[in-house]
Amino acid sequence: MDTDFDETYVLLLLADSNLPTGSFVASSGFESYGTHGFLSLSSASSAGKGRAVTAGTVAFIQDSLHNYARSALPFVSDAHHIVDSFKDLEGKLKIDHDAAIEKLLKLDELYETMTLNHVAKRASKAQGVALLTLYAKGFTCPSGLSDEDHLSKSLTDLMDRLKWMVRGEKTHGHLPVCWGVLTGALGVSLLRAQHLFLFLHARSLLSSAVRLNTIGPYSSQQLLLHSVRPLVEAEVSQNKDMRTGIFVDMHPNGANNRPAMTWPLGEILAVRHDLQHSRIFNS
Amino acid sequence: MSSTAGESIPVGTGHIACDLHSSTVVFSKLSSSYPLKLLSPRVAEHGVAIVYVMSYGGGLVGGDCMQLIVEVGKECKLLLLSQGSTKVFKTRAGNRASTRFRRSSPQPTPSSLQDVTIQSMEVTIAPDSALFLLPDPVTCFRSASYTQMQTFHLAGSASIVLLDWVTSGRRSMGEDWDFLRYYSVNEVFVEGRRVARDVLLLDNPSLDTQIASESSSSNTTSRSPLRTLKDRLAPYSCYAMLLLYGPQTHGVVTDLQTKYRTISIFKRTAPERFLWSLTSVDDGKGTVIRAAGVDTEDVKNWFREALRGLEVVVGIDEYRKVFL
Repeated sequence: MDTDFDETYVLLLLADSNLPTGSFVASSGFESYGTHGFLSLSSASSAGKGRAVTAGTVAFIQDSLHNYARSALPFVSDAHHIVDSFKDLEGKLKIDHDAAIEKLLKLDELYETMTLNHVAKRASKAQGVALLTLYAKGFTCPSGLSDEDHLSKSLTDLMDRLKWMVRGEKTHGHLPVCWGVLTGALGVSLLRAQHLFLFLHARSLLSSAVRLNTIGPYSSQQLLLHSVRPLVEAEVSQNKDMRTGIFVDMHPNGANNRPAMTWPLGEILAVRHDLQHSRIFNS
Repeated sequence: MSSTAGESIPVGTGHIACDLHSSTVVFSKLSSSYPLKLLSPRVAEHGVAIVYVMSYGGGLVGGDCMQLIVEVGKECKLLLLSQGSTKVFKTRAGNRASTRFRRSSPQPTPSSLQDVTIQSMEVTIAPDSALFLLPDPVTCFRSASYTQMQTFHLAGSASIVLLDWVTSGRRSMGEDWDFLRYYSVNEVFVEGRRVARDVLLLDNPSLDTQIASESSSSNTTSRSPLRTLKDRLAPYSCYAMLLLYGPQTHGVVTDLQTKYRTISIFKRTAPERFLWSLTSVDDGKGTVIRAAGVDTEDVKNWFREALRGLEVVVGIDEYRKVFL
């Protein structure tokens, strides 16, 4: 079959909102943002309350997306690259995972030390390991039906090893790293993987907004198609070449192009999530 | 003891090295070169020393580059303070002729490395010693571009209290997050292992990203306008990050955790004047506090109270010199 169809098919699977990744319990700080009284802050005076809340929701998505693209996307890119380079080894009799595993663990550890937010870490780890499980249980070839080639078997082994290391608390299994690994293993191109990663983040924010009743379900679709789309595109194009730098150098000279947090207000509110008297989300 | 302006050291560099000699902290090195200035007042408290890190003229301009190396010797307690906020002046173009030319040119000018103000600090902290880096906040003026890189290497039993904060500018001049770019990296290693890397980037959308977004394919009616720094950070005009690690911070950390746990937030219609958050890092061995306030004074006053437990560590008179 045409490889474009192959990739599109995988993208359709990954974009399914029923995918069992547990993202529905995460609001990435949005619930806390509302509780703290920030939703009606933007352009509150001119428009009615409903309009102000919609504007506040879009503002949150914009700022959150901006921050997530700059802080997490480089980890997706690096992890994807590590797994993607396995393709070059196709045809070799024995593929050694140790070097790749070591790199992925380094990457995962860097994300852990850069995420100074226990609530975000909790959500990121839960969704990360869910992706690894999803691959093992949902995306590998069923036995018997298998004409599985050497490479995909090897990738399955790699994912399994990683999954057991997360389970055994040898590493954290953060979402951006696991997303890069998963999409790389499924043969999704880096640009598609980056784009879908940010799209899913934005969509998950919108669906938490619907559940919190700050916007309606139709409005959510409308925003996703018209307002969020250019935002996702802009963030992808701005950050697609950014890398963590951990495999090159973290020297000040390269500092302009390294992961960073861009929204300290969002960070404070996200950390304060657990202090809310009542809450429906986990982050 | 005062600073010695060394002839041989490069422009804008400084070196602090101290050791403990029978309960007195002695500086084996305390040197700096223009525009960096180091001053160490006499301190009564045993095992404690204070160094003020300053710059001539009280501010930095575009292109200034300051590098400071700090070695805290065994069992020393070193306080690094400033006198007044670090002011970062507007980026200056290379020469007037090109500035005039540039102004009439429709092309956005890429900010070159020359225009950026850079401050870097490399710190090593020996066993049983502690560094208290508690300066005034950085204030970036309109159009300023500032990069700060701080690296801390701790021995296993060493401690650190590190405060890094930034304000929205000169409010008297109507500045409110109007600088070009603020980039701050704080990286903490304990026995060679990275335990925290805090990277904060505050940048206003540059002219070229605005142009790029305007020419993007999607229809123009529904697109949301680009968010400026002010949009993102309102209603606050001061943001702070405080990192605590090591045995000498335990008292303060326990107090802060207790205080944090009592907070319970009910649904609000408008934001509070001051907000803070607490999180543990490195399996609870370190703590990171973030704070934001409508006024810088609110943030300063909160920190002065929150860290008062340090009085027993560094001495009451010494702590009085912090958060003036």
